[in-house]
Amino acid sequence: MRNASDTSTPLRRGSSAVQALRGAGSGRLGPFAAILVVVAVLATWPLLAGNPYMLSAGVIVLNFAVFATAWNLMGGLTGYVSLGHIAFFGLGSYGTGLLVIHSEINAFVAVMAAAVVVGLLSLLVGWAALRVRGASFVIVTIAIVLVMLLVFQSWRSVTGGSTGLVVPRPFPDLLRPEHHRVFFYIFLGLLLLVLVSYLVVDRSRFGQALKAIREDEDKAQSLGIPTAMLKLAAFGISCFLTAIAGGVYALWFGDLDPIFQFDVVLSAQIALMALLGGVRYLFGPLVGAIVVGSALEYFLLNFGETQFHLVATGLLLVAVVLFAPDGVLALAAQLIRRLGPSATSIREESAAEVRAQQDARALAERVEEPGADATTDREDRR
Amino acid sequence: MTEELGAVALRTEGLSKSFGGVHAVDNATTEFYAGRINGLIGPNGSGKTTFFNCVTGMIRPDAGHVFYRDRDITRWQPHRIARAGLGRTFQLCRVFPRLTVLDNLLVAVHPPHPLAYLGRPRVASLVERARGILARVGLDHLETAEARDVSYGQQKLLELAAALMAGPDMVMLDEPAGGVNPALIERIAVLVTELNAEGTTFLVVEHNMEFMMNLCDHVVVFDRGAPIAAGSAAEVQQNPLVLEAYLGV
Ligand SMILES: Nc1ncnc2c1ncn2[C@@H]1O[C@H](COP(=O)(O)OP(=O)(O)O)[C@@H](O)[C@H]1O
Ligand SMILES: [Mg+2]
Repeated sequence: MRNASDTSTPLRRGSSAVQALRGAGSGRLGPFAAILVVVAVLATWPLLAGNPYMLSAGVIVLNFAVFATAWNLMGGLTGYVSLGHIAFFGLGSYGTGLLVIHSEINAFVAVMAAAVVVGLLSLLVGWAALRVRGASFVIVTIAIVLVMLLVFQSWRSVTGGSTGLVVPRPFPDLLRPEHHRVFFYIFLGLLLLVLVSYLVVDRSRFGQALKAIREDEDKAQSLGIPTAMLKLAAFGISCFLTAIAGGVYALWFGDLDPIFQFDVVLSAQIALMALLGGVRYLFGPLVGAIVVGSALEYFLLNFGETQFHLVATGLLLVAVVLFAPDGVLALAAQLIRRLGPSATSIREESAAEVRAQQDARALAERVEEPGADATTDREDRR
Repeated sequence: MTEELGAVALRTEGLSKSFGGVHAVDNATTEFYAGRINGLIGPNGSGKTTFFNCVTGMIRPDAGHVFYRDRDITRWQPHRIARAGLGRTFQLCRVFPRLTVLDNLLVAVHPPHPLAYLGRPRVASLVERARGILARVGLDHLETAEARDVSYGQQKLLELAAALMAGPDMVMLDEPAGGVNPALIERIAVLVTELNAEGTTFLVVEHNMEFMMNLCDHVVVFDRGAPIAAGSAAEVQQNPLVLEAYLGV
């Protein structure tokens, strides 16, 4: 039932389902439990996937999910949309590949070593790139990818150029389906890592400050928030996680070509996944990765290597921006709220909302009257 | 005059900023006093907001210096200026629309050390302090609302509350009475007077003369980017230069 007490809290207060979706429930552990449940559900895929192809498609989608969630730690929390994150993915891949080829160290140690170096490098890049905002930042990030593409294509003696770089497999004895299965679970572990990282940042003072930057950077600065440093920290963490994904990808796929490792279109698709799912939601990028990743695989399977998926990507991006700017999870949250326990039908709820809105407005007006002292407001609240 | 008003809190020397050919702030030398409610008035376009932005580091001045409590803060980053105790609000009210009213305040508190950034934002003692400030401006019943859901007048109060949460010695308000109803204007005036009595220095920009005349201890009048008069409200009101600037005689 709606009453005066409802108007003192906003109309957008969420039901518990919405909170769970958002991954920001009032409980300390709720969202962490939600992550475990989601990961457990995803872990059943290898049992369901009928053939190695479906299994490898699962690996690709998980790779996208890890990438998009890592992207969201920067893009979603600070609002700085990077279309160049693939630069750090590709650097992670090549760093890992070159380490594995030229040294004796364990393949997964190589992944971490490469990711640390790429993470540090990203601090340098970020220091320069984060001086500009909005569209300028987007363009700078695209430029970074293009530079990387050129460097890795022309530096043939080290990278193999477009002939490719073959990375030895970490488990040479495994047959192909087994190889996919093992990497599916490795990527799943990585997904767990990035989801938990995002959640920890999201719920910290750091995350709160990042959101303030997203909302209004000048205002944040004027309140004493060291925006430049915090943005850089978020960028570094995001790029570090992205580079880990790139390194594991190199071990899984085993063959690196600059045109794919520094593919600007894929980079944009990663951002699209996060936007489609909902950048304000813990699981938004994961949902987006499943939707877009499956769609890309579907196009590839049915139409072959055409440019069709590019057109589809563009159209989808336009549709998201126009019709679901907060992503599909926001739409789902709205739906849940509508069908939630307080309403029996959609129409009744909207009538109640109108009434609540009127109440809120009346309350707001009363607050602005000097005569209305705090006690009357407080009585309303009780 | 200076003895009467006490110590200078904020001082500018030859501050200048132009946009293209427009000299928005033109060689402005000013003084504002600690523990007082200082006013800055002037016709629209006389450079008050640009002056604010130069002082708070949002815009780099072309020339000149800003001193806050005898420290040269020219070219400091805005967040450093804020942390030095100089807070501000914006002319067109700016809050974080998708943060809750309470979070709008909590985010304004500086963690004591970088590691504290990893902690949770809802520290009990801070929440309590934030609630105290919200109660003071009359927004305590809205703490869980998102800032975009409250009225414009409430957003103005929220912006003031957030500035106070940072614990400033001096607060600069850019047109606090702009676009709000007379009742709320009165409420803001009372708040400013009370807070000042408790020790906070204010610099208030307005072109609403009436609001300023009752509120301010010391008024600086701007015209075309530079001060043309300074003194008590009564003094500047009778200054022929001021009348000319305002009435365009
Ligand atoms: N960002 C800007 N770019 C160009 N001109 C500006 C800018 N900001 C202010 N101005 C100009 O500078 C002058 C002073 O503006 P402003 O500081 O906003 O005055 P006030 O706050 O006193 O109304 C005006 O002529 C205005 O058009
Ligand atoms: Mg102005």
